[in-house]
Amino acid sequence: MIDFVLSKKQQELKEGIHNVGKFVIRPMSLEMDRNHEVPEPFLRNFMKLAGGRGGQDIENFGEDGSGEEGKKERDPSKISEANRTSAVGAEELAWADAAMVLCMPGAGLGGPPVKSTGTPEQRKRFLGMFKGMDTGPLKWGAYGLTEPGAGSDVSGIRSSCRKDGKHWVLNGRKCYITNGGRAIWTVIFATIDPALGRAGHRAFVVEKGTPGFEVGKIEEKMGLRANETAELVLEDCRVPEENLLGGEAAYTTKEGGFMTAMKTFDNTRPLVGAMAVGIGRAAYEYARDFVKENYLIGRPIPRYAAIAAKLSQVSRKLDAARMLVWRATYMADMGIPNAKEASMSKAAAGQAATQACIDAIEICGAHGSIATEHALLEKWFRDVKVYDIFEGTGNIQRIVIAKRIMPGLKAF
Amino acid sequence: MIDFEPSEDQRMMQDSVAQFAKSTLAPRIRESEKLRAVPEDVRRLAHEMGLGFIDVPESAGGQGLGLLTRVMLEEELGSADAGAAFGLSGPGTFGAAVVELGTVEQAAELLADFGSTDGHARFGAVAWSEAKPNKERAGFVTTAVLEGDGYKITGKKAFIINAPHASRFLVFAQVDASKGWGGLGAFVVEKDNAGLKVGSRHDTLGLEAAAFGEITLDNAIVPASARLGGGLSEADFTKAMLRYFSKQALVVAARAVGLARFAYEIALEYCETRKTFGKPIGHFQAVAFNLADRHMDVESSRWLVWKAAFAWDTKRPENEAIRASAQAAAFALEAAMRTGDDCVALHGGSGFIRDLIAEKLMRDAKQIALCCATPEQLDQIAAAIDLRAPLDPALVLPTPDAQAIFT
Ligand SMILES: Cc1cc2nc3c(=O)[nH]c(=O)nc-3n(C[C@H](O)[C@H](O)[C@H](O)COP(=O)(O)OP(=O)(O)OC[C@H]3O[C@@H](n4cnc5c(N)ncnc54)[C@H](O)[C@@H]3O)c2cc1C
Repeated sequence: MIDFVLSKKQQELKEGIHNVGKFVIRPMSLEMDRNHEVPEPFLRNFMKLAGGRGGQDIENFGEDGSGEEGKKERDPSKISEANRTSAVGAEELAWADAAMVLCMPGAGLGGPPVKSTGTPEQRKRFLGMFKGMDTGPLKWGAYGLTEPGAGSDVSGIRSSCRKDGKHWVLNGRKCYITNGGRAIWTVIFATIDPALGRAGHRAFVVEKGTPGFEVGKIEEKMGLRANETAELVLEDCRVPEENLLGGEAAYTTKEGGFMTAMKTFDNTRPLVGAMAVGIGRAAYEYARDFVKENYLIGRPIPRYAAIAAKLSQVSRKLDAARMLVWRATYMADMGIPNAKEASMSKAAAGQAATQACIDAIEICGAHGSIATEHALLEKWFRDVKVYDIFEGTGNIQRIVIAKRIMPGLKAF
Repeated sequence: MIDFEPSEDQRMMQDSVAQFAKSTLAPRIRESEKLRAVPEDVRRLAHEMGLGFIDVPESAGGQGLGLLTRVMLEEELGSADAGAAFGLSGPGTFGAAVVELGTVEQAAELLADFGSTDGHARFGAVAWSEAKPNKERAGFVTTAVLEGDGYKITGKKAFIINAPHASRFLVFAQVDASKGWGGLGAFVVEKDNAGLKVGSRHDTLGLEAAAFGEITLDNAIVPASARLGGGLSEADFTKAMLRYFSKQALVVAARAVGLARFAYEIALEYCETRKTFGKPIGHFQAVAFNLADRHMDVESSRWLVWKAAFAWDTKRPENEAIRASAQAAAFALEAAMRTGDDCVALHGGSGFIRDLIAEKLMRDAKQIALCCATPEQLDQIAAAIDLRAPLDPALVLPTPDAQAIFT
């Protein structure tokens, strides 16, 4: 039955995050941006709220997403709402702070490839490391695909791997890796032979402290400054063969490794879309409240009518993007292939949210661009743009969509 | 729980209307255009399917299936011939207005003969717009003056959907000139009223299967009972009209979603077959990305329309439903225009030639955005609600002061 009302659990999650966001996160947002970090005590408290489970996997707040970490078994006759719940939570957390949402301890973007491609032992071992963060140390995972020479063009990665006895030897450089410096492990994508293209890709879980695995430069960014973006360097880094994600068997099909990288996106793109919607909504609400306080929108006076129109346009584009996010996560929960819908949600959300921030500043006029204690808008404007870039740029999403709507299209 | 799956019943109805649309409406789209009407046998078929009564409440003689089911079916009609969706007989927007403004008994009585066996020949119409704004004062030029135990209506109404065929009109007129847009009244006027003259039919850019026209009221006398919503306060009357305009916009938007889907699908098909520089044009990025964007437009429009219809059916707070409808419709109408425009562009020169349907879809896409409150007006409604501005009728009703529309 068609339904657009959040479940009770989702509603509670949304309200819970909203309140923490409004009264705790927002007030420290600007300081986190200046200090380039989220205070540890806050994260620890948040982990306590989340029952010590991975915070960046927002789905864990709602429903059990992985099923193998000693949590209560999910009733298989009941349809999982996990992806929809994650989207609801992600939007709200990003509404609170656009960088915070990426700083949450947990496997992060490294989680999905381990979940989708890892062997049962690997899932248990690597995801199990994130247990007990309510009392024990905070931990992060990371996802290392991008290289200086290959971002959108995933098949062009040059980081190499070769088998040597019971180890793989990795060489190369990864860049722009979210939480890459602090991660206890990173899923690193490398190739056995660039000439093989996608078929040559292998994915490894490389643990922090592995000899030859170093953190390079920590980037200075336009926005998301509270979140760490790191360069990772692999120099004759010897990774045990047990850390080859999925084992050798996972790479017998032609595009095994590439598909590992891509499958991740079907679940994460809608979430990134949800986050973008959250940031855009924050900017929209800011502009709306500014207008409410400062202007009298009464009879149709031209300038006010123009502002009202702009406000409405911003908000309906965000609503449209949210519907695509919900649709993509609904399909994920139902087990319906959703690569196209995931890309549509990400493309629409990244664009709508960026435009929302641009227009919100415009609506507020000069006030909108001033970085004072009270002006979060200026920060959101800086934060949001990358949501239209990482996890596949707007153009890359359109390539995915185009290939799905035109089955005859193999490449441009 | 968020769910996009229609019920079994909705699926079945969607399938049967899609079947009707594909096999009956679509092949005759050019015939209807030339005829400037939906052919009688097609109207009869639609009437037998009960298409005019889907969401009319059961108490008023309708099927009471709700707005969500209605918009799902309207999309199917729009995907075959949006003009026909407007040109089909039945109570149409008249029914919707009567349900909002009248009592249950009034609605049941006024809609009864539209459901009879010869109902396929009956049309209802809403006479809201006027060709020119009133320069003297705020409000309509058309007035209704209380006289004896009735009203005398005088004035001229324009841009009325199905005016040339209508058997019954709901006419809006100024009752209290001192109150501007807060002083309106709504009156049922029968076609055979001595003071009513059906005027000329407008020649329109698109949607030719629907007849748009004018009426003139020259001392048309109606009994006091012909006034609907006369007991409502100014604020409640405005609210009832907002409900009417936003639900109506949603129905039109659903047709626009269908129209956009049609345009997108034929554009996609063309881009996969037409070759230039040795490959299908769809395999060039500029073209492919364009198609991807229009696909997103169609899908997101549909979900927005569904969500707004769902808000009405599940009795969400009224302002939430009005706002959702306004935003869904504004988005869908603009998306349909983009899609119609791109559809012609992607067809190249052939898009401009009447051998293909692309050019009609582009014309229809522009026309349809004027067949309810326009995106500009819908945005004002949504913003007023969001800003908690007073719902001043001058601001939120689609009056000729702001922009004339077809109703
Ligand atoms: C803050 C931040 C965090 C990040 N986190 C991670 C992370 O955790 N893990 C990770 O692996 N990566 C991460 N990235 C990297 C990110 O995913 C890439 O930057 C992104 O995918 C784009 O790749 P690129 O930078 O190489 O740009 P390029 O691929 O060089 O693209 C440049 C421009 O060209 C366009 N373009 C490229 N190819 C095509 C084409 N075929 N057709 C049309 N247009 C095209 C793009 O759309 C873009 O506009 C992060 C980046 C940032 C900024």
